Amino acid sequence: MTFQVIPMKISDLANNTGEWLRGTGAESDIVISSRIRLARNVARFPFLSRTNIKQKKELEEIVRNKIKEAEITSDIHYINLADIDPIERLFLVERHLISREHAGGEGERGVAFGKSETISLMVNEEDHLRIQVIRSGFELKEAWKTIDGVDNKLEKKLTYAYSSRFGYLTACPTNVGTGMRASVMLHLPALGMTHHIEKVFNAVMKLGLVVRGLYGEGTQVSGDLYQISNQFTLGKSEQEIIEIIESVIPRITSYERMARKALIAESREQLEDRIWRSYGMLKVARMISSEEIMHLLSQVRMGVNLGIINTIEIKTLNELFILTLPGHLQKLEGRELNAQQRNIIRAAYVRKRLEEI
Amino acid sequence: MKCESCNKKHATVHLTEIIGSTKKERHLCDECAQGVNTQLAKIPSPTEILTSLINQVAPEISEMSKIVCPVCGLSYLEFRSNGRLGCPMDYTIFRKGLVPLLEKMHGSTQHVGKVPSKAGKELIKKSELMQLRNELNKAVEKEDYEKAAELRDRIYDLSGDTNED
Ligand SMILES: [Zn+2]
Ligand SMILES: [Zn+2]
Repeated sequence: MTFQVIPMKISDLANNTGEWLRGTGAESDIVISSRIRLARNVARFPFLSRTNIKQKKELEEIVRNKIKEAEITSDIHYINLADIDPIERLFLVERHLISREHAGGEGERGVAFGKSETISLMVNEEDHLRIQVIRSGFELKEAWKTIDGVDNKLEKKLTYAYSSRFGYLTACPTNVGTGMRASVMLHLPALGMTHHIEKVFNAVMKLGLVVRGLYGEGTQVSGDLYQISNQFTLGKSEQEIIEIIESVIPRITSYERMARKALIAESREQLEDRIWRSYGMLKVARMISSEEIMHLLSQVRMGVNLGIINTIEIKTLNELFILTLPGHLQKLEGRELNAQQRNIIRAAYVRKRLEEI
Repeated sequence: MKCESCNKKHATVHLTEIIGSTKKERHLCDECAQGVNTQLAKIPSPTEILTSLINQVAPEISEMSKIVCPVCGLSYLEFRSNGRLGCPMDYTIFRKGLVPLLEKMHGSTQHVGKVPSKAGKELIKKSELMQLRNELNKAVEKEDYEKAAELRDRIYDLSGDTNED
């Protein structure tokens, strides 16, 4: 069992991505990833909005040490977010290892994660501990199995704030109960193009689920990537919540497939033209903004799914969504870049990746 | 000194306004000063606005508004304005206000999911202890002191480690 409390070099991560982008698992043409997170708090401490600096430091130490003692995986690393610069924090946000709120927070806080980046544990986020598991494809049940196991190991070491009435007690009452948010990230370009996406949202919301963009709450939808997750956390068991989401996803994926078929049947030439133009743009452009690249990658990804383009792997496209984000480009270059510099480096990076194929 | 508002009459009223960290002197005539006062009187104070709003929205909150958590010092009003609780105890202290809120958020107020194994053990321990205490009472009633002593020791053993972290 090795546990590196000394932070690993973030730059070591910059050239690859976590396992959840591998494009494997069920329905991985449309379902990018399945993610579950659990919010937990240590019983004898106030929630973080009411802790003083000393308590916050003490909490960070306790939770960090308990994570270490719990022996979650053999290769877990811990990074204290106060020790790294804002670009590195942005980098971790882009990889979904920490949340935006965690990156932008203050004081003693950190994140532990394994080499595959499947499991991450945020210390002193909104709650004392947030456990997260991400898997490639439509794998919520497997993700639950993993996270339940991690939680069981930790609860042997930590006494959680819990009541039999309200379940796991959280800083925000919107998370109380299971403390669980289960979400599935979907790529739905055809539903977007055919303007059927609103219908999906309305149906999903009626089931008490919410739709968000790539980086969660309040973020804009780009690259036709959507996250569908549960809103309620109290009154239903973890399994029930997962079952609700699991029952909805296949309907959305088959709806997306229908929309793709309809596009091909009605306007094959236009669709192929759009996809090949996007591919061409990625191969020749000298400057690409982050908004534009999401759109281009989305089009090409659909092209690969439809067999229109067959020289690129889905894995490569999934990874490019993340590797071309501002934090990653700056980490790759090893310096701060303004928007224009990023656009130049982004275009060069994508050209290089596509030439390698 | 002439009134700075109308510039005609003699200034008889001298007001000091404090806005943030800056102090501002105002010199007005009787008539203009009256105007200022009635204007000020028309504006309700922030607390009045808040209270009337709360009274409109939910009458039960106004009774909750006085409640402050003795553990973390958070008041119910602070919780309602920023949506974050201060400590696990708040779920008990603010229960009356929280229950309808949770009902609205989640459509339920009763947890039915995972139970930490520790909480499970505690529950088992509690019921075991209850049983032993009942037996102890019976033993004492029957004047079976040997049995009572044995039960007492078992209760001590069991409750001794309930406080273990
Ligand atoms: Zn005047
Ligand atoms: Zn409190």
